[in-house]
Amino acid sequence: MAQDAPGAVGARLSPKLDEASLIRAVQRGDQDAFEQLVRAYDQSVLRLAVNLLRSQEDARDVFQEAFLRVFRSIDSFRFDCSFHTWLYRIVTNICLDYLRKRKVRKEEPAVVDTPEGPLDRMNDFEEEAAHANPERNMWNRQLGQRIEGALGGLTPRERMVFELRHYQGLRLRNIGEILGTSEEAAKNCLFRATQKMRAVLGDFQ
Amino acid sequence: MNCESVTKLIPLYFYGELPPEEEDRLEQHLDACAPCARLAESQRVLSAALDRREMQPSAALLAECRHDLMRAVYRQGAIVGQAGSPRPIGNRPLAAFAAWLPSLGPWRMPLGASALLALGFVTARLTAPSAAGPFNLATLTPDVISSIRSVQPAHEGSQSGEVQIVLDETRRRVISGQLNDSNIQRLMLAAAHDENNAGVRWESVDLLKSHSDSSPVRELLLNRVAEDPNPGVRLKALDGLKAFTGDPEVRKVLAQVLMHDDYPGVRIAAVDALTAHADDNMVGFLQGVVQKEDNTYVRRRCVKALQDMNASVGTF
Repeated sequence: MAQDAPGAVGARLSPKLDEASLIRAVQRGDQDAFEQLVRAYDQSVLRLAVNLLRSQEDARDVFQEAFLRVFRSIDSFRFDCSFHTWLYRIVTNICLDYLRKRKVRKEEPAVVDTPEGPLDRMNDFEEEAAHANPERNMWNRQLGQRIEGALGGLTPRERMVFELRHYQGLRLRNIGEILGTSEEAAKNCLFRATQKMRAVLGDFQ
Repeated sequence: MNCESVTKLIPLYFYGELPPEEEDRLEQHLDACAPCARLAESQRVLSAALDRREMQPSAALLAECRHDLMRAVYRQGAIVGQAGSPRPIGNRPLAAFAAWLPSLGPWRMPLGASALLALGFVTARLTAPSAAGPFNLATLTPDVISSIRSVQPAHEGSQSGEVQIVLDETRRRVISGQLNDSNIQRLMLAAAHDENNAGVRWESVDLLKSHSDSSPVRELLLNRVAEDPNPGVRLKALDGLKAFTGDPEVRKVLAQVLMHDDYPGVRIAAVDALTAHADDNMVGFLQGVVQKEDNTYVRRRCVKALQDMNASVGTF
């Protein structure tokens, strides 16, 4: 699980660099400053998109669309919230659109059945867990399929809250702020998400 | 606190979202209630299973995303600025080059002049479609971007319904050619100084470094390694100079880089480049660097280089 930390997401700017000055430089049209700003946050944005959408292609599109929106609308950033929150509003809105469209289209899951057996389309990614032996491998694969199914059963909003809390380590208050809702609503979303997942994954635990 | 409320609070407890008093009460309940304790344990197991699912995007994917983004930004920035006006960057060759030339400093003026000459040459060739010859225009893609300047009735006071729309057009051209073509090379040299776009500088240096036997390219690499504001570009330029570490002028610049660059990665690369060429005169210099260097890794690299030269680390 991602650790809680106020700066867990992004915020890799050197302390010497003042983020507000960087943003003002971007607002004046400085592309180098924009590149620096992007680099402070882009790893966590890509990780969020990859984990939410489970598709490299979609994650790439979200990455580009999100930062281009930042580039186009940075003038409207008035420092009335943190840049991180503002950026994540953009990113989560785009991701939610993707998830909603998938709900309508019933897009294929990350793990698909092939004549050679189940194939994880995300195998190109660096997995954290090492697969020690074939038996363990099979168990992991089945668990992976079950988890994908469980996550697929969540509403886009539940999925987003869960992703931001579990993997990105954001506080529920911050998640509420990003999603334009209350902390209480974010809590309820997280509760529903874990209930649904426990129900689907019950016998695997 | 009853079992029903505990069920709702377990995910919040697990994620550390409960206030301390509520957390204490919940823990007391879990100590006394086996079914709720099992539920808490199942939350932990669920979380561990979900942790295994986490994907870390590869460095290659991140690099591709960054590259694509900066290209898209560059294209957008060239077309539409934030207030709907063109940004002072971009693909309008003469205007853009003219905009940055004054800021290049006196030593770059000859280079800037040759870049403008090259641009003039390119423009002339492009306006003559039948032209062929030394400049190999493998592809040429005109791309006209239009914006409406004004809309008005065609004839003052007329009710004819005829209107006049005035368009401003910006033409983009794509030029392809061999790197060993001197005109292409001159354009690339100019692009390697584009202050507004580190990505273009990086790509230009990266492409040009394979032609570092050409004197203007080597001058460019020396200039970029010493002066480029972007450490990635400086590293790339330094990489292109590796074949010339025996050249006194190159060594002099690399020594300056090792002394003054504010990015440790560049200083480490400078140590490596300088010590790749055996030179006993380096001993005193490296001993001096060891004395003043703040960064442990750079210092260690210098110490190792001194040891490899069978020299003492300190000065006496």
